[in-house]
Amino acid sequence: MSNLQTLQQRLLQAVLADRAPRLRDLCGDNSADTTSRLAIYRNGYRIRLRDALGTEYPGLGLMAGRRFGHLLESYIETHPSGHYNIRWHGAGLAAFLEYGLPWRDKPELADMARLDWAISTAFDATDEPTLSATALVDVPAESWAALRLRSQSHLQILASPYNVDAFRRAADGNKQRPRLRHYDKPRYLLVWRQLLTVRYRLVEADELSALTGATQHETFAQLCERLTEHHDPSNALPRMAALLRQWLDDGLISGWELA
Amino acid sequence: MVQAPPAQDPFAMTTQTHSHSLPYLGYGLGLRVDHYETLLEHPGNVEWLEIVSENYMIPGGRPLVWLEKFRERFPLVMHGVSMSIGSADPLDDGYLARLAALARRVEPAWISDHLCWTGVQGINLHDLMPLPYTEEALTHVVDRVRRVQDVLGRRILLENVSSYISFAESQLTEWQFLAAVAERADCLILLDINNIYVSAHNHGFSPLDYLDGIPASRVQQFHLAGHEHGDRLLIDTHDAPIIDPVWNLYVEAVRRYGKVSTMIERDDHIPPLAELLAELDHARLLAAPLLREAA
Ligand SMILES: [Fe+2]
Repeated sequence: MSNLQTLQQRLLQAVLADRAPRLRDLCGDNSADTTSRLAIYRNGYRIRLRDALGTEYPGLGLMAGRRFGHLLESYIETHPSGHYNIRWHGAGLAAFLEYGLPWRDKPELADMARLDWAISTAFDATDEPTLSATALVDVPAESWAALRLRSQSHLQILASPYNVDAFRRAADGNKQRPRLRHYDKPRYLLVWRQLLTVRYRLVEADELSALTGATQHETFAQLCERLTEHHDPSNALPRMAALLRQWLDDGLISGWELA
Repeated sequence: MVQAPPAQDPFAMTTQTHSHSLPYLGYGLGLRVDHYETLLEHPGNVEWLEIVSENYMIPGGRPLVWLEKFRERFPLVMHGVSMSIGSADPLDDGYLARLAALARRVEPAWISDHLCWTGVQGINLHDLMPLPYTEEALTHVVDRVRRVQDVLGRRILLENVSSYISFAESQLTEWQFLAAVAERADCLILLDINNIYVSAHNHGFSPLDYLDGIPASRVQQFHLAGHEHGDRLLIDTHDAPIIDPVWNLYVEAVRRYGKVSTMIERDDHIPPLAELLAELDHARLLAAPLLREAA
């Protein structure tokens, strides 16, 4: 190993360590000793990561309240950053909250982190075409059964029994902390970007099923078939037509093809 | 795309292929989200913009749409913070590929980063860590600058950083080290006047010695910024107005290097655009008599 390498490793460890070690490599002088000089880098590292996480996780900040600072500190101490883009340091936060003590005892925190992160990643996901509401008028009636939709590849569906969406909405609108609610069944949240704006909304069980089918590139007939599990067969087609209309209005569909 | 170097010159890839004359852009600003709309509607006296490369090294979405609008209106340069040119870790090929891809999209007048390391052992400190000024570090950095310039197909600018620590093993001054990197690697220099002032205070050297030690032919750009007073040390925060001693040092720099593209770099506590435009005008005012003399 080169001198440069070992020196950088010692300095890196000195920045990351719980307590600052004395480093013989550094020079102090009358204006400041080596410990206070090193402290600028040690503090700076923690402040930068904390600020970046705070920006990526506004919903979690509101939900965790006074514990948010401690939560971020414990994540930062156990998870050094491995990506050149500081934003990506936040990628592991939901998993940390899900499995780490004491956070795992409050499962709403991991769910909240997942929604914040989904919103963050949708923000700069790859651009794809967005199909307009009128794009499908030319499809001949007899071809509809075989029609396959292409959905935006960045769209995400999250399941949580908590009202995490209310927290995120309140955080974005600078509103008061909502009351935490726990539902007996998970709710499904769709997160996507409509052109340049990130959006999220609840989806009902029937839409969840149809949307899952669409992301798996199933035919329109198969999507209708999925809806018969939730609706009277005579209502499946009108419901599917209404859903499709909504998906087009929401900018969820990027293209279509006939199998 | 790999091009074979001309057979007669084995060093062509590293020394001959980069353009030597870069344009003079005048007075510009670091592009910040807070100013997106105002800058497009009322660009005032802003002649060019510097973007932080990493903010646009993303797959898609809103930032790239803004970028396109600014590209149509202003000459742009790209300024990165993550090249980690001085790290003992291998160069990050993925990073360089993304940087090169952004450069193809932006077509910047030039690309810069910092003379520093930002991490090692795969861990990123997200900070501009100073190097020991040794022959070993010099050789290491020079080799890497050459390789980066080959990947990007152009000469890069390296910026001096503010620092709070220095290393017992250093054999050169910071400016000797910076000048040597530029000469040996055939790269250019982005002088941050504020960073010179901050480091001079923190390490007790004269900022004028620094300026005297940098070869004028290598200086392509200036940064101007503000900083904060710590307990005993100055902390480079780039979040405050430029103070008089830094303005005075800017004058000394113009006296030495002449006409150099200059910009104001505010990273935090972003003020209304008008405040930065006023600072830009102040820079113009200070430089004008010296540039007239030289002309
Ligand atoms: Fe700078």
